[in-house]
Amino acid sequence: MAEEAVKKIVDETEATPSSRRSSSRSSRRSTARKPKKDQTLQGLILLVLVIAFGIYLATISATIGIFWLTGIAFGFILRRTNFCFTASMRDPIMTGSTSLTRAVLIALAITSIGFVAVQYGASIKGLPVPGMGFVVPISFATVAGAFLFGIGMVLAGGCASGTLMRIGEGFGMQMLSIVFFVIGSFWAARDMGWWTLNFISNGPRLHLPEIFGWTGAITVQLVFIAVLYILADRWENRNQEL
Amino acid sequence: MAEFELDCLGEACPIPLVKTEKKMQELDVGDTLIVMIDHSCALKNVPEWARKNNYDVEVEEVGESEWEIFIDKTA
Repeated sequence: MAEEAVKKIVDETEATPSSRRSSSRSSRRSTARKPKKDQTLQGLILLVLVIAFGIYLATISATIGIFWLTGIAFGFILRRTNFCFTASMRDPIMTGSTSLTRAVLIALAITSIGFVAVQYGASIKGLPVPGMGFVVPISFATVAGAFLFGIGMVLAGGCASGTLMRIGEGFGMQMLSIVFFVIGSFWAARDMGWWTLNFISNGPRLHLPEIFGWTGAITVQLVFIAVLYILADRWENRNQEL
Repeated sequence: MAEFELDCLGEACPIPLVKTEKKMQELDVGDTLIVMIDHSCALKNVPEWARKNNYDVEVEEVGESEWEIFIDKTA
């Protein structure tokens, strides 16, 4: 027993780098690992609970039920694809990679089509166009706020969705992030009235379909996204040549 | 042909990538770097960066939300 242990240590320390590399690589891969837990059962139980809770929520309010399901789906997609809004804005500058930037642009393009479909559908039926409450004035506050948010999310290692997803993953540091995210949001909500009154409400309120018409709006939006996509693609390849 | 380990457990993106970039500069050609990470974001950008530099990369999930990235400094 002891002899075996000593032999193991000697083997590990005396092995030449090349043999160590090949042996340690294979050995590292098979041994000295926490055996991976099979969580299929837990996963299935969780899935049942998620559905059950969703049905329960739907009895209270259909909207809350839908929020529950889209939230779960969103988290799952973020986790499995490593999709990250922070990285989409940060990586082009830090690493020259724009794969996530392009993913966000594609997501925006798809969402734009969906939004136009919903809003156009409502408008031809003579119904009030949904989502108009979110058409807010653009001002310098938007730019300044975006800039501050960008600094914050890179330091915190994630935006809101990314932080939440990584808490679910068990990443301790971001539990701290979310605490200060909440504190910051409360503070912002407290001062929002003043900002709205003095800065934000002075800005123009733009809703593209009112300016270009429905077809024009979606065309302008998609062309703009396409241009950004091409630029992002160029940026990635430009860095590759360096 | 030495093997180095870089412990980035508990480090949020983009710290693992920055550390990897710095560490790879110290390595000789033929060396291997094993980066240990538990931030899923680094799972994407570290291998991507390494592949862009034409290094051989292998990723292995060693535990729940814990990965090791093997990077061979090939050039």
